[in-house]
Parts: sequence; C-alpha cells; structure tokens
Amino acid sequence: MTDKSAEQSRDFYRQDVKVGVYVCHCGGNISDIIDVEDVARDLSDYPGVSVSRNYIFMCSSTGQGLVEEDIRTKGINRVVIAACSPALHELTFRGTLERAGLNPYLYEHVNIREQGSWVHKSNKKAATEKSKKLIRAAVEKICRQNPLEAIRVNAARSIAVIGGGVAGMSAALSLGRQGFNVYLIEKENRLGGKLNSLWKAYPSEEDGEKTLEELEKDISSLNNINIYLESEVKKIDGYVGNFSVEIVKKGSPEKIKVGALVITTGYVHYIPFEGEYAYKTTKKVVTLPDFIEMLKDDEKNGSLKNVKSVAFIHCVGSRQNPSLDKPQKDEKVNDYCSRTCCTSALFRIKQLLEKYPDKKIFDFYRDIRTYGLQHESYYEELSKKGVLFFRYPEDTRPQVEVKGDKLEVKSKDILTWNEEVSVEVDMVVLLTGVMPADISVIVDDLKLPIGSDRFILEAHPKLRPVEVPNLGIYIGGTAQAPMDLLEAAYGGKAAASKASMLLSKGEISLDPFVASVNPELCDGCEKCIGECLYPGAIVMENGKAKVIPALCKGCGACAAVCHTRAINVAGYSLEQIDAMVEAISKE
Amino acid sequence: MGEIKSDKILIITTISNSYPGADAVGQSHLEYDPDTYIIRLPDPVLLPEDFYLKAYSKGIAGIIVMSSGSDCPYEGAYERLAQRVQKIYDKMKENGISISRLKLTTICTVCKAAFLKEIKGMRENIEKLKAVKDAS
Repeated sequence: MTDKSAEQSRDFYRQDVKVGVYVCHCGGNISDIIDVEDVARDLSDYPGVSVSRNYIFMCSSTGQGLVEEDIRTKGINRVVIAACSPALHELTFRGTLERAGLNPYLYEHVNIREQGSWVHKSNKKAATEKSKKLIRAAVEKICRQNPLEAIRVNAARSIAVIGGGVAGMSAALSLGRQGFNVYLIEKENRLGGKLNSLWKAYPSEEDGEKTLEELEKDISSLNNINIYLESEVKKIDGYVGNFSVEIVKKGSPEKIKVGALVITTGYVHYIPFEGEYAYKTTKKVVTLPDFIEMLKDDEKNGSLKNVKSVAFIHCVGSRQNPSLDKPQKDEKVNDYCSRTCCTSALFRIKQLLEKYPDKKIFDFYRDIRTYGLQHESYYEELSKKGVLFFRYPEDTRPQVEVKGDKLEVKSKDILTWNEEVSVEVDMVVLLTGVMPADISVIVDDLKLPIGSDRFILEAHPKLRPVEVPNLGIYIGGTAQAPMDLLEAAYGGKAAASKASMLLSKGEISLDPFVASVNPELCDGCEKCIGECLYPGAIVMENGKAKVIPALCKGCGACAAVCHTRAINVAGYSLEQIDAMVEAISKE
Repeated sequence: MGEIKSDKILIITTISNSYPGADAVGQSHLEYDPDTYIIRLPDPVLLPEDFYLKAYSKGIAGIIVMSSGSDCPYEGAYERLAQRVQKIYDKMKENGISISRLKLTTICTVCKAAFLKEIKGMRENIEKLKAVKDAS
C-alpha cells in the first residue's frame, strides 16, 4: 500500500467519494491569467479526486456534457466547478448534476474569475496558486457533503410593478395576461410616463398618444391589473415570495403583499444649468423635450414658421467631463452616453424639414450615435437635404451668445481640421440627456445596486440583464439605462418574464441550507434553543434538540454554541468549514 | 500560538451581501492581495469561537469577518456575532494572539472601496506584527 492510498483508506469521507474537478477557461477571462492546465493537473492528484479537467467554457452545453458524461460513465458522485461567480452559474450546474441523476447539492462552486483572474491580473503565478488552494478547499468541503433536498415555500402569485411608463405598462400587461395579480403603481395621474409627451416616435412615426391609448385599453380590459395612480411607494420590506409594499395613494396609505417586484421607474430629462449654452438667459435656447412640444404645437398653429435657422447641440448633460461641465448635486457629472438623443434629434430635424424644407439647420455633434436599425438613414437623408454637421472636439464645448435678435453659436470643427466656425441662428436646441428618476426610498429599502451613472445596476449585462442580486426583484426600462421606447418595452417584458418564471408554480424552491441535529451527538443542553433567533425553530423531543425546517432560516447561530457539534447548517457544517481552512492553510 | 506562520488572510463573507460585494470588486477589475481566501457562509454567526483559534493555529495570519451588518437578513444575528467576536478577542489575548489579526466589518453588495480597504488594513496589521517580531 502506498503512502497515498494508506492515507485515503484512513479517510472516512473518501471511502466512496469520487470527485470530478472542472476548471473553466471562461474563454480567456480566466485562462489568460490563471494557468488552468496546471491547476487541473495539480488537482488530479488530490485525494478523493477521480477526474480533473479544464475546458474553454464549462457553462456551454459541451462543457456541461463533460460533467454529465463523467457522472454516468466514471461514477463521479461529487462535483467541483472552478469558474465564474456562483451567482451566475450555480443553478446551471445544479441542473447539470440533476440531469445526470446526481443530487444537485453534491456540487461546490469555486469562483476563480471575479475573485481570481479579474482581481489578480498582475500576479498570474499567485492567482494560479490561489486557485489550487481554493479548489482543494472545495474538494474537502464536498467530500463531507450529504445529498440535500430543496425547501419549498409558498409565494404569492402577485407582483408589484413600480412605475407606469411604457416599460411598466408592458410588464404589467404581460403579467396580467398570464393571470398574475398585478399592482401597477404610478406617481402621476395617468399611465404612460414619458410616452405622454413623446408625440411621434421614431422609427415608425406612430403617435405616442395612440400607442398609449392602446396600452391603456389593453390594461383596463384585464381585471387582475390594479392601477394605482398618483401613488408613491413609501416603504418596502420582506423577501422573495413575500414582499410587503407600503403605498400612499392620493394621500391614503395602503399595504400590499406581493411575491416579486418589477422596478420600471424610468428617467428624468437633464435640465441645463442657468447660463449653460445661454439656457434660461433667452427663450430662444430650448431643450429637446421643449422642441418636441414646439413641433407638436406647430402642427396646429404654425408656431415655428418664422424660425428661419436652428442650431442643434448634442451631448448636453451627457458624456460630460468634470473639468468642463458642472456637476450634479452628488458632485458627479453625467459621463455616460444618453444613447437616444442623437437619433431623436435627427428624427425631429427630419420632421421639421419635411414641413419647412427651406430652414437652415446646423448640427454640432461629438459623435453621431444612431445605433438602431435604419437610424443611420436619418443622418444620410439630412446630409443630402443640406443640414450642416460640425463635429466639435471632446475637450471643448460650442459657445452660445445672444446677439440682438439672433443667437451666435461658435465652435471648433474637427471635420475642417479644428477650424473655428460661427453661425447665427434664430433658435438653439440643446439635445439634453437623461438621468434616472429619484427612487432613493426603493433603493435604500431594497439595497439595490446602483452604477456609477446612478442607474440601477443589473446582476450581469448579458447573463442576468433584468435581475439584481436580490432574488425576486427585476428591473426594466430606463430605470436601468438610457434606452428608446421599444427597448424600454422589451425590458419591461423581459423583467415580467423573469418574475412570472419565479412565481408561476405558486411556490418557490429555496436552497435546503437550514439547520439539522445529529441526535447521536446531541446531549440535550438546550443552548441552541437559547441562541436561536427564530422562536420555535428548535424544539426538544425526547431529550434531544430538533429543528423545524420551515421555521429555520439557516443563519447558523445555533451551530456556534453547540459544544458537541451536533447541530449544523446543511451545506455549511463546521466540519466542512474547518476542512476548508485546513486545505487553505497547507503550503 | 501567537506566531504568524504565513501571510494568508481568510475572509469570511455572507451569501447575501459581502460575497456579492467581493464579486462587485472583481467585476470592476480592481486588484487586491492574492494571498486572500474567501469563504462564503449564510452568516458568520455560525462560526464558534474555537473556529478562529484553530484557524490561527493552522497558520492563517489574519481573519476579516465581512458581515452584512444592519442589512443582515437574519434579524439579531449581527448583534450575536458582535458579542461573539468580543469573546474571541478575549480568548485571543489569553492565547497571546494579537487582536489586530481579527477584524469584524460590514460589507454590502456594492462596498467595493471598503472591501479593498479592509484587505489593505489587515495586510498592514500583519506586516506590523511581523516587523515587531523581527525587531525583537
């Protein structure tokens, strides 16, 4: 018998344990920094490990297939995946084990991307060695893991959609049609949000009012959508499946219970400071929303008839620079792109020229970002129609001065090698950006993650684009990022889909990580009962402690005071944690 | 028992808050000391006092307990944890272990700067203790 096999034979846990270790490259996200082949090779010799592999994308169907195949053909009965954060793929790999017929909790996830390659870029060797230690610790933990069963909790089939703009209306409609009880909460006296003032929308040129009326009609046809107008959320607490939302509706407080939340609280327009591009020093300098109102009014009254020339200035309140632009109250400038203003501006210029082809239009831009399908055609069309485009440099801003009845706009133009250009116009339109609406009450109560741009930060831009880390909370529309009408509607629907998937069964499957007692070790001292934070979760039965799983939340306060270590939280036993520390400590 | 045998820092995180906080640091590609090992738990309140002493005896240089603080989903757990850490400090003193090798802190899902600051602070504590030992 070799030393290694002698050691293994003494190890109770490894008698019938076969661990499969799988190290993911994550394309190059991990493998560019961590030597994944070395890590897999190192683990192949580790006690208890039967298979150790590395693969370019473990989360791909082929990667998961490797695990399934090993479980079926090589008798792997414990799995360790070293990859990205478990927040992204823990459920994915539990499903992999389940498909292969293995208990999904006989799996441990090691985060070597967010807590490995992405934070130790300048020390590849240390990152590799650290990964080995963390995976060894995971092997030690999973060797001591028993199969577990998920806990089922009832969840209300009702959802609060906070914000009644196009995203919120789309979400509510989608959920309502699926039979959920929906509470649609809007602070204004009519649904629609910014759709109310959008007038004609690009690219379809559909009337916003008409779109809104159709949405309102569809929503009102469903009895299970409860509309709360002139209502604001005052407090939210609870947890997935059981949120409590306090609403003040027209001054009267009301409390609702919901299983999930969809947050579609939208945006506000950037308001230029007094004097910024001569704003508020003359009525001839207006913002884009003001100009849309003017265009709308012009249809009836011809109010723009006498305006012979207009200058449009892009990126007002967007892509700002702290050394050139005035910050907001939080001392930060808006350094992000508001995304929709370029296309919106070009679309409005097109509308103006269709009615008044002789108007002189000057467009001062930094970049033309017409990212949507066919949006670039507005730029091409307007160029042919004689609109003069000037590209101002990033480190300067066009200057606007009042000159008698006229406005003078001066700027450098990159297209003519930084030549100074000056135009006299009757009106200046500032293409103002967007900022998220103030939802500090909701953000504070739910501890929502907020990005550096102040918009709600999704859990992952590609893999979890309408989720936040908190289970049961979904985001959609411009509460998340600047987006146009269609994108906002799609975002709302995506959030609704996620919420409906969560609540469709009327119960939610939660991790089975609650406390349990080994009666053979329990000496009936009752210290665990004294330490338990949830009355009734631990009771005495025949002189031994017993956990009531439905009442236990799995905090583990009881485990810490059990001198015989009879009580433990499933999946986090002290023995497992001690073994992990032991593995990490070893050189 | 008070001897520092390695440079390893053990970081105890919570599933609900500080572990996502550590992920947020990674998503921002902010670098920190690689000799740090994160363990994910429902709540650090489940660790008994002897866990810490054992960890030091195994060679862990410093332990940062990153709790959820007032955001803890287990009401009352943070207060229990704080009381327990106080008892651990007493035991560390009894065993000649500097209490600067254990830090209880609160890290939320977006506390990136605080996360980095705590690691830097613990590393400095360890280096100071090592320097004192070398000098003596």
